[in-house]
Parts: sequence; C-alpha cells; structure tokens
Amino acid sequence: MTVWIFTGSALAAGISAEFNAANKLYAEGKFADAAATYGKILQSQSVSPELYFNYGNAEFKSGNLGRAIAAYRHAAQLTPRDAEVRANLDFARNQVQGPSLRESRWSRSAGWLGLLTLNEWTELAVAAFWLAFALLVAGQIQPSLKTALGGFTRGAVAATVLSCAYLGVNAAIHFSKQTAVVVAPDATARSGPFEEAQNAFTAHDGAELAVLDHRDDWLQVTDRSGRIGWLQRRQVEILPGS
Amino acid sequence: MVWAALCPGGTRLLAATFTASLDRDTIALGESATLSLTFEGDSPKDVPLPPNVPNLQISYVGPSSQFSYINGQTKSTVTHNFTLTPQQTGEFEIPSLTAEVNGQRLSSEPLKLTVRPPNTPPPSAVNSGSEIAFMKLTLPKKEVYVGEVVAADLRIYLRDDVQNFANFQFISTPADGFTIGKMAQQSVQRAQLGNHIYSVVPLSIPLTVVKTGAVSVGPFTANAVLVVSANRQRDPVFERFGIHSIFNGGEEKQVSFATEALNLESLPLPAENVPANFNGAIGDYTLTVTAGPTNVAVGDPITVRVQISGRGALDALTLPDQPAWRDFKTYPPTQNLKTTDPLGIEGVKTFEQIVTPQNTDVRELPAFSFSFFNPDTKTYRTLRQPPVQLAVHAGGTTPAPMIAASKTPSPQPSPPQLDILPIKEQPGALTQAGPPLLTRPGFLAVQGLPVLAWLAAFVWRKRTDSLANNPRLRRQRRVAQLVREGLNDLHRLAAENNSAEFFAALFRLLQEQLGERLDCPASSITEAVIDERLALLGAPEPTLAGLRELFQLCNQARYAPLRTSGELAAVIPQFENAVRELQNVKA
Repeated sequence: MTVWIFTGSALAAGISAEFNAANKLYAEGKFADAAATYGKILQSQSVSPELYFNYGNAEFKSGNLGRAIAAYRHAAQLTPRDAEVRANLDFARNQVQGPSLRESRWSRSAGWLGLLTLNEWTELAVAAFWLAFALLVAGQIQPSLKTALGGFTRGAVAATVLSCAYLGVNAAIHFSKQTAVVVAPDATARSGPFEEAQNAFTAHDGAELAVLDHRDDWLQVTDRSGRIGWLQRRQVEILPGS
Repeated sequence: MVWAALCPGGTRLLAATFTASLDRDTIALGESATLSLTFEGDSPKDVPLPPNVPNLQISYVGPSSQFSYINGQTKSTVTHNFTLTPQQTGEFEIPSLTAEVNGQRLSSEPLKLTVRPPNTPPPSAVNSGSEIAFMKLTLPKKEVYVGEVVAADLRIYLRDDVQNFANFQFISTPADGFTIGKMAQQSVQRAQLGNHIYSVVPLSIPLTVVKTGAVSVGPFTANAVLVVSANRQRDPVFERFGIHSIFNGGEEKQVSFATEALNLESLPLPAENVPANFNGAIGDYTLTVTAGPTNVAVGDPITVRVQISGRGALDALTLPDQPAWRDFKTYPPTQNLKTTDPLGIEGVKTFEQIVTPQNTDVRELPAFSFSFFNPDTKTYRTLRQPPVQLAVHAGGTTPAPMIAASKTPSPQPSPPQLDILPIKEQPGALTQAGPPLLTRPGFLAVQGLPVLAWLAAFVWRKRTDSLANNPRLRRQRRVAQLVREGLNDLHRLAAENNSAEFFAALFRLLQEQLGERLDCPASSITEAVIDERLALLGAPEPTLAGLRELFQLCNQARYAPLRTSGELAAVIPQFENAVRELQNVKA
C-alpha cells in the first residue's frame, strides 16, 4: 500500500512539473510547444478539466481551431458547469467558418441534462438507489419503522426512477451518438468512402459534424445543413455524444 | 392472324403524313405559343427538332398519340409539342422541317409567328380610369453605374370594382444588364385616377447593374385572375359600410399586365481619383471600428470589429486589405449582415477579424480605411478610423479581456468576450481517463448489493414472522436450546461429581423434551407418560426402553445419590441418544 501511494504521488508530482513546464512555454508564446507538452500529459491517460482547458488554449493560439474545440469539449464533458470552459468553447466555435452542428437539439431544449456529467448522473442515480433500498431493508428489519419511513421510502424510490430515467437519456446520447470535430484546415468530404469519390462538401477546421456511419478509415458525417459526406478518420477527432 | 381474319383483305394503313402547326400565329410579348409536329400513319425515326431561331426560346414539351380504327382503316397520329417563347417583338419564321418516316422523307410547311408588343394601356386610358387593372414600372434614375443597386418601383393598379385579385404570376421579367433581387411588397395604397379609386399594390425590386452601356428593364409581363363586379349599380346603403358584393357574385376575368420597357445608360466607374484600397464597394456608407483586447502578449488574438452601415450592395461588401497591418498576422474575417429594409440594400454589415501582433515593437493597430464609390455624388470617398493603441508584451497569461473603441462611438453594445480566457495555473484533480462508470462491470456488480441485502432482510422477516405465529415451533426451538445448554450443565455436574444436581437437571431436561414432543406442560411429565402417550405416537420400543431407564436412574438417584464422575458421564451419551430418537418421533 505504501509503495502504491508513493508511486502515485511521484507520478502526480511528475505530471505537475510537466504541467508547469507547459504553462511556462505558453507564457513565453511558444504555443505549439505548450500544446505538445499538454498533449504528452494527456497521452499518459491522466486527465483533468484544467489540463484539457489549457491544452485547448494552446491549440487555439497555435491556430488549430478544431483541436482546441475538441479539447474544450473534453473539458466540458468533465466539468459541464464550468463557465470558463463554456466561454472559451463558444469563443472558439465563433471562429469556425461554414456550417457546424454546435449544440444538439437535446442540449438546447433540455439544458439541465447537460448540467451533470454522465458519471455524475450515474452517481446520483446510484445514491438514490442505495438510499431507497436502505430504507426498504430498515422496514424489513424493524416493521414499526415502515410507517414512519413510508414517505421517505416512496420519495427515494421516485428519485431513483427519475434519476435513472435522466441517466438513461444521457447515456443514450453519450453512447449512441458521436461527433467528429474537423482538425484539418479544409477537409473535403466525399460522396463515398474512397479517395476517388466526388467532393460532397468542404468542412473547415473546427466544424462539428454528426457521425452517421463508420467504414474502415472513413466516417460518414453530416453537418447542420443536412449535407452528407465521408471524411477520413485522420481529418477529425471523434467525441462521444452529440 | 386474328387481326387479318377480322379484316378481309388485310389491314389498310393510310400513307404517312407530316404537318407542323401553331396554336395561334400572333401573340403578345410575354406570352407563349405551341408548335405541334403531327405525324399520321406512322411515327418518324427521329423527332425533327426545330432549328435555333434568334430571340425565340424553343422547349420540347412531349409527345401525344391517338389511334383509331374506322371502317377497316387504322389511323395513328403522333404529335410532338414545343413551346415557343419569344424574347422580343417582331416576326419569327419557323423553317420547313424534314422527318424520315418508313424510309420516306416528309417535309412540313414553314410557319410564321408574329409577336406584338405587350398590351400596355395608353396614358389616356390610364388617366381616365377606364382600365380595370394595369401595371406600371418606374426607376429612380436614368443613369446608373456598373455595380450600383437601384430599387425599381413596380405598381399594380386595381380599380375599385375589382372584388378579388388572385393567381398573379409574372410571365417575363426581362432585365438586360441587371441582376434582379428578391421583390418586396409594400403596404397597399389608394389612388384616384379619373373618376375611380384604385388600390395600388407597390412592389420594390432591387436591380444590380452588371454591365456598362445601354441597359434596359422590362417590359415586365404578368397575368392574374380578377373578379369584377358584374353590375356597376350598387346599393348605396351597403356601399356605405364597404359591402360591395353581397348580392353580386362578380365576373371572373383572366387579365394580362404589361409594363413599358425602360432604357438606361450604365456608366463605368470613374478611372480618376480611385483610392488605393478601393475594392469595388458602391453605395453610401459609414464606418465604425473597435478592437480588443488592447493589452496582449505576442501572438495573442485581437478581435477587430468593423461595422459598415448604409445603403448599397451590402451583400457584396468585403473587407479591404490593410497593408499597414504588416506587423500582424491576420485570419479570415467572419461576417454578419443585418438589413433594415425588405430589399436588403440598407443595413449593417459586421466583420470580425482576428489579428495577432507578431512582435513587442507593436504599439498600435494602424488606422483602418475603407473606400467606396458614391453613385449619387459620383465621387469616391475614403473613410478612416484612427489607430488603436496597444500594449504588447513578450508573452504570458493573457490578462482579462478589455475592449477599446476608436474615437467614433459604437452604436452596438460591446461584445461580451473578445479573446479566450487565460490558462489555469494548477492542473486540478488529475484522474485516470477511463470508461464511464456505467460500463465498468465491477461498479455494476456492486449495485447488486442493496438488492441482495433487501432479499436477505425479506427472508429473515418472513422467517421471524412465521416463528412468531407458530408457538409449537417456538417451543421446539426453545427446548432444543435448553437441551444444548443442559448438556453442558450435565458435563459440568458430572465432572464435579454432583450426583443430586446432575440427575435433577437430567430429569428436568427429560420433562422438557417429552413435554415438547407430547405438546403438554413439562411439569406434567412422569415415567408413566412414556407408556401412556409416547407409545401411541409410534415411538420405537428401544427408544421407550432407553427413556424408561433414564427415568429410573433419576428415581434411584433420589435414594442413592452417590455415584462416581465416570458413572455420571456415562449417562450423558444415553441421554443424548434418547433425545435424538425422540426428535425423530412425529409430534
């Protein structure tokens, strides 16, 4: 256990040092180097909203609008209530040329659904679930408590059902939809999943497109105006959800 | 063969013929005529296509066919129809056409189509109020510049006896040297011409001049269906309340409209005094420029917001190059157009351009200039905004964004954010990237625990309730407990060689166990019960004998209590055996 704790703290210290180094590069105006350093930390599978946020800033200032938007979206998925992340994401989106998906219809009509992350919705549902069953167990052990706890039990069961429903909707969006953020300067979407296919449309750096299908190294995507085309995987970064 | 049998002498087909005809030989400009190529007897190998006739648009509509059998003679007719739409007035000749039918070459007669000017009513008829409906096209000027946008005014006049006006359709809207924008209808007005009041439907049409020299608009032609009062004698009582047609159904009329053609002179833009950064903007504009943030690091983005307001071809406006911005890296601007008139030629076009300073020597964003040609004053004009002071440092975290406006106040509110917010100083709580909790099997398995706990509590509750409602079972368990504890006491008393206590305890345990089996009070159990009741329950004889022996040992101990520890200990297995056998006896 001691060894594990020691290893963990040493790793965190190393990441912190790299993070500070990247911040320094950013402050010196070496945005591409800063982005590379932030990216190196992210490749080690250590993530935090702050890390994605700074990575997004560095990519934005390096002129990589698509990568910046993808990073801000990652940060927003980890901390959906962070106003700074939302502000930079919106600012970056406003620089994108051409049609883009932006917010999904669900996100607009049910903004509250995006107030919590998928894991937070899961934890909320699990907490309500455990509380409901704890009250049910208490009622079995001490039947005299059944009447006294009846209201709480019904409330906890209702909260469980409701939170599970919200979780279900959120999970459906998360797992059934994918968004492709264009990270190439001008990505030509083709009418078929091969290089020789005719040009369908051009998606600009940072455009957010809904993924409809996958085939080998190609993705079938559509933009807000309903145009459909195939892009190569290397031209986009794929994010879960809409 | 059947056909041949029914037709003696075989089928007699007529010789093939080919004729060309027009549905009418005189039409007004804006109308269309139909050319029909009719083949009787047989169809041609290829449909003959009319040759190109200058200023006459010919489009193929399609074939139609007829087949008849009369008195043993078959007659088939195939007609190919074409629509002829003239582009100008005059006479058009459709030359003779040749077609090959069954190896035979057939020719049609040449045709003439006369196109007369559209029915523009004479001014005297208009002014006297004798026209039921007419259309009038006017332009604000006779001289325009290439690139200029002018608003044409088209008015549809409907006399007061027109009850209804429907299915208005333009037939032709020729505009040589112009591109026509989207028409916009204004609110209906009223005008008096002669002795009649007319409803006037004004339409504005934006026209953009695209070439120099002589240009023309019109004649615009259109048609509509009007419902006109059949009887001009009206009831003054109803008329006073604006009710014209309660007792009068009205007469429906198809009416053609036509305007005059308007000729203009399109001038090229003056070649003198052309500003260096003129990029083709024509109209009359004002300019506002803002930029922010002004305190930045090298490479940080500064958003330059340029608003061009006024009247002209706003759609075509582009941001002019700014050669003085050489110390800045510029990105393609975004643009947003907000028009304030229905024609889309008045409004505000906003450009937002990101520029980044490339070195710390930059002290200001140089003056922004925009030039345009004003066709009203016939001069070029350049608008300039003063430089915006900047503080550019070597690099670092961007300070909080701030907007600085040029000296001209901006009519729009400042944008809420002009730059990305600065980076975070701390990495925050780092976690290992992983799949969502929902997809982790361990996490999902743990969620089974509350269900299992509830099931266990449920089973326990059922068993507890069942015990509470069954006194026999409860006694059975209590006695079993007593026996378990009594055996410990017996072992202890045997070890202590306490014969009196040992047998007293043994007797009590026998009473309890037998009382539970026989469902009677323990105190009522004596040796006699063994034969009287236990035998009746079907207990085997060895069991009964063992119990009798134990009872006798207890009785003997009352009179001769002294025994050794070994003898006492030897009684315990006998008791245990008797209890085991008793528990097998069905109570």
